[in-house]
Amino acid sequence: MSFRSTALLARKSIRARIGRTVAIAFTVTAGVSFVVGSFVLADSMRATFSGLFNELVSDVDLEVRSAEAFAGNSERDPIDASIAEQLSEIEGVDIVEPSLIRFAQILDEDGELVATTGGPALGYSYIGDAGLQGITIKDGRAPIGGEELVVDKATADRVGYEVGDIVSYLTDAGTHEGELVGTIGAVDSDGFLGASVVALDIPTAIEKFGSDGKVDAIDIGLTDGADATAVQAAIEDILPARIEVITGEQLADESQSDVDGFISVFGTGLLIFAFITAFISAFIINNIFQITIGQRLRELALLRAVGASGKQVRRMIVSEAFVLGLVATVLGVFGGIGVSRLILFLFNQAGAGFPDTETILKLRTFIAAAVVGLGVTLLSVFVPARRASTIPPVAAMRPELGFEALKKKQLIIGAIVAAVGVVMLIIGLFVQPGPALSWAALAGAGALALFLGVASVSSTIAAPVTRAIGWPIAKLFKVPGVLARDNVARAPRRTSSSASALMIGVALVSAAAVFASSLRATFTDILDNAITADYIVTDPNFFGLSPAVAESLAALPELEAVTPVRGIGAQVNGDTKGFGAIDPKAFEVLVNPDLQAGKIAGLRPNEVLIHTDPAGDLNKGVGDTIEVLWQNGIEGTLTVAGVYGDATFGNWLISLDTLELVSDAPARDFFIIGKLADGVSAEAGDLAVAAATADFPQADVQTNAEFRKSQEDQINQLLLTITILLMLSIVIAILGIAITLALGVFERTREIGLLRAVGMNRRQLRRSVRWEAVIVSTFGALVGIVLGTFLGIIASLAVPDDIVSKLAFSPMIIIVVLVFAVLAGLVAALYPSFKASNMDVLKAIATD
Amino acid sequence: MGVFGENNADVQYWFGRASKLSPMNTPLPSPAPTGVDSPTAASGTVDASKIYGIGDAQVKALDNVTVSFQAGQFTAIMGPSGSGKSTLLHCLAGLDTLTTGATFIGSTYLASLSDKELTELRRTDVGFIFQAFNLIPTLTAEENIKLPMMLGGETGDAAWIDQVVSAVKLDGRLKHRPSELSGGQQQRVAVARALASRPKIIFADEPTGNLDSETGAEILDFMRRAVREFGQTIVMVTHDPGAASYADRVVFVGDGKIVGDLADPTVDQVIDHMKQADS
Repeated sequence: MSFRSTALLARKSIRARIGRTVAIAFTVTAGVSFVVGSFVLADSMRATFSGLFNELVSDVDLEVRSAEAFAGNSERDPIDASIAEQLSEIEGVDIVEPSLIRFAQILDEDGELVATTGGPALGYSYIGDAGLQGITIKDGRAPIGGEELVVDKATADRVGYEVGDIVSYLTDAGTHEGELVGTIGAVDSDGFLGASVVALDIPTAIEKFGSDGKVDAIDIGLTDGADATAVQAAIEDILPARIEVITGEQLADESQSDVDGFISVFGTGLLIFAFITAFISAFIINNIFQITIGQRLRELALLRAVGASGKQVRRMIVSEAFVLGLVATVLGVFGGIGVSRLILFLFNQAGAGFPDTETILKLRTFIAAAVVGLGVTLLSVFVPARRASTIPPVAAMRPELGFEALKKKQLIIGAIVAAVGVVMLIIGLFVQPGPALSWAALAGAGALALFLGVASVSSTIAAPVTRAIGWPIAKLFKVPGVLARDNVARAPRRTSSSASALMIGVALVSAAAVFASSLRATFTDILDNAITADYIVTDPNFFGLSPAVAESLAALPELEAVTPVRGIGAQVNGDTKGFGAIDPKAFEVLVNPDLQAGKIAGLRPNEVLIHTDPAGDLNKGVGDTIEVLWQNGIEGTLTVAGVYGDATFGNWLISLDTLELVSDAPARDFFIIGKLADGVSAEAGDLAVAAATADFPQADVQTNAEFRKSQEDQINQLLLTITILLMLSIVIAILGIAITLALGVFERTREIGLLRAVGMNRRQLRRSVRWEAVIVSTFGALVGIVLGTFLGIIASLAVPDDIVSKLAFSPMIIIVVLVFAVLAGLVAALYPSFKASNMDVLKAIATD
Repeated sequence: MGVFGENNADVQYWFGRASKLSPMNTPLPSPAPTGVDSPTAASGTVDASKIYGIGDAQVKALDNVTVSFQAGQFTAIMGPSGSGKSTLLHCLAGLDTLTTGATFIGSTYLASLSDKELTELRRTDVGFIFQAFNLIPTLTAEENIKLPMMLGGETGDAAWIDQVVSAVKLDGRLKHRPSELSGGQQQRVAVARALASRPKIIFADEPTGNLDSETGAEILDFMRRAVREFGQTIVMVTHDPGAASYADRVVFVGDGKIVGDLADPTVDQVIDHMKQADS
């Protein structure tokens, strides 16, 4: 056996069929680029963020702060600033810098809020370059005393503030002003990753931010040559209970792992879509190879006749694929760098506020590129190559004998694969064995198997369904329409496999649409039944609202009931749970939590309302007690005062009084809900609420209807994001239809020549090819919608009832998808129809 | 089928066993040659039948054909369309398989070979010239000529290949692809490829069917010279009496049977023979 001859044949074949080669390479490259782009973006962002965080704390040797019993989702309790004095007396301590970060909103010269570029609006304490924070002065100097402040340079430049201007800002303690004496930036950047920052000296910050004499933490710099461990031990000795001292490295590691967590979720999300793209390109390459092997039938049979073994034929085809995959991988790495830039750009356009990153290419990225690029190509050529090797030599003279060898049906295998896929999907989503990653992977693999199986089985329905789709087209366009319909129906296998790629893309969009519709229906149901609030007040920056907002609203006679909703983490039996804190009296008026036993309104300190799920799990009822460990390390005992059945506000509810008893963390309201008093008109209520919140520009007041609208917008936004991420897959799918069609036109050269010879004009021919593409894409979309709806229903049923409890479908989306499919078909037909109509009639007829 | 069918199966079975036990050098169970007396048969069939389709749609393309072709001879197989002449050639060459009966090349019975051995045989012992689509479109003329050797990982006998190339007057066209060659040139490349590996036998299926008579004559003349001068064995299927007249012997096929045999034919003799067969 000779490698040389196979290599020669493969090389020559690639060169001779350069158009097809480029098309295949493009689809693989697109998939590889997306995968590489995801890795590059995640790695680059990780490097940028962790570099920044490391530099921010690089001067901090030790930090004193309040301890946490476990990692929860609320802020640490602040500590007394007075501890600083004791710390500075310890041997080896050089610099002691209390630090305080609170809400502070910069106002422009007209007193209007200055919007941030994606981050929160923050106020910092700052002692200048001598301090330990990685903040640097850009212009002017650090602020000293109650009349001075600095602002981050990015915001100052944007608003047009210059050193010497008077700047107003808003904190939880009211509106203040000071003279701008300088601008600052994080490390060597001009801003703070999209946040706006106003910084004051420490005493001023404590006063103006209203922190009640407390600070978040105290950073310590050691004298040269001091023993950090000894100093740390000495500090520990003087610290009161539940206050800890950690090293600068620990601090850096913590921020690093926060960043990692976020970027991993982001990167994994992108990767999922990248792999979907690669999966779809595998379909298309498989289809292209399958078709071209049919076209090269005589050539392959001739090779067999003159002495090539089946193995050599197979090896030749695999070699062709290998070279293609290799080229695509290399191009994909370059493409991936572009893709990472593009994704960053798109997310920033949408207001994500990611910083500009350097480009990090890790070895792992190259390996992933090769695995996807070569893997996809080689896997997709596996079956076609094996089939090619079974072509009998006699087919060189009698091609009809060769086609029989290529036409082996694999329907039963397809049906089995689809069935196994459904079972895996259901086990993965409903039984959920093992950790989240394993059952998600099982469900994902099940979905892929389902796609593969359906792609194979759909050929059985391709002929009748495409005839039905083609019926109006045949009626409308006479001969070209009839030809289009018959050409689609005469090769059901090819039709179904060329439609498959689009089918998968459409299925994923449809599944997301069903899920989103169900999510929306569930949400609407909650707003209709569980919550009777007329106003919902939120903070668009997710930093939380000052308690003053709720107080000001509660004082309005126009409102019958107002409650803020806060949260805190606590462990019950070692498991971390989220506890909601509310005003019980108002809550009873505003929310119908489907109370099963006990009371809401009279909820006293150290009493708890629990949902039926944990009540059942723990076997607790009204009057029973539950031991909890709060996030800050305080232990407590809660008495069950009521059991409820609606999980809209979570599984655990305590009163605001209880929260204040167990936590010193600065009070931030997640949101506030309120209800109009009887007899007060909506207009009067709107006016009163607007007046009461006028001093709190960060508070976003929405009526029930507005809130519903904004939540629906968010769901739509989510759906749109998913669709955009699937766009590349769909573009590749359209390209796949175009390639298949072009190959089909090439195959029918003689037939087309004949049609032209007997009087069909170019326009009719173009029309025929165009409608053929539309029938194929519509078929793919229809199968995709059916399959996607099924997947969407399964996914909606699988998620817990407090997220999705209702099923809903959107006919609008189905119509949009079908219209899109027709357009996709028209686009796919552009090149093939041009090709067909420009054929030289004489040459076409003479083709062997 | 009846008794004959069973007998044929037995024959195939025993021949298969015999050559499996001692693959080469097994003395041939001398198949009765029809016509010309010759000491050695390069290829032939014994009770060969080929049936396409099942039930009512059955077509007997070959019906108990026993024939052999002598080494160093140029034999033409003639017959009208659908007579089974092409099927006979395909089965002789190991491109297609018989329903019952046996075919042999040299001392090897093809039914006993695995697909791998059959491939090896086609590469080393058999050359092909088809009516059309003889060449791999992506390879140059030279690469096409050397293809069977390259597939076996060999370079071939360079001097011999040069001799063949100049004999078919292909010098200067070797770097061209098939699409850049005329029909006659393409067939000459095919003939050169068939000769290049010095096979035991060359099978040609209507090699001049796509050519004008002058170009066709050139090819046939060269094939005859290959037999006379190089001692090559060629079996050619044709329906053209002119082409058949280049052969040393003509075997006539009709309805899947051998219906005639003619030595050292002239064009007129062939035409006469065909008229007899028709009447």
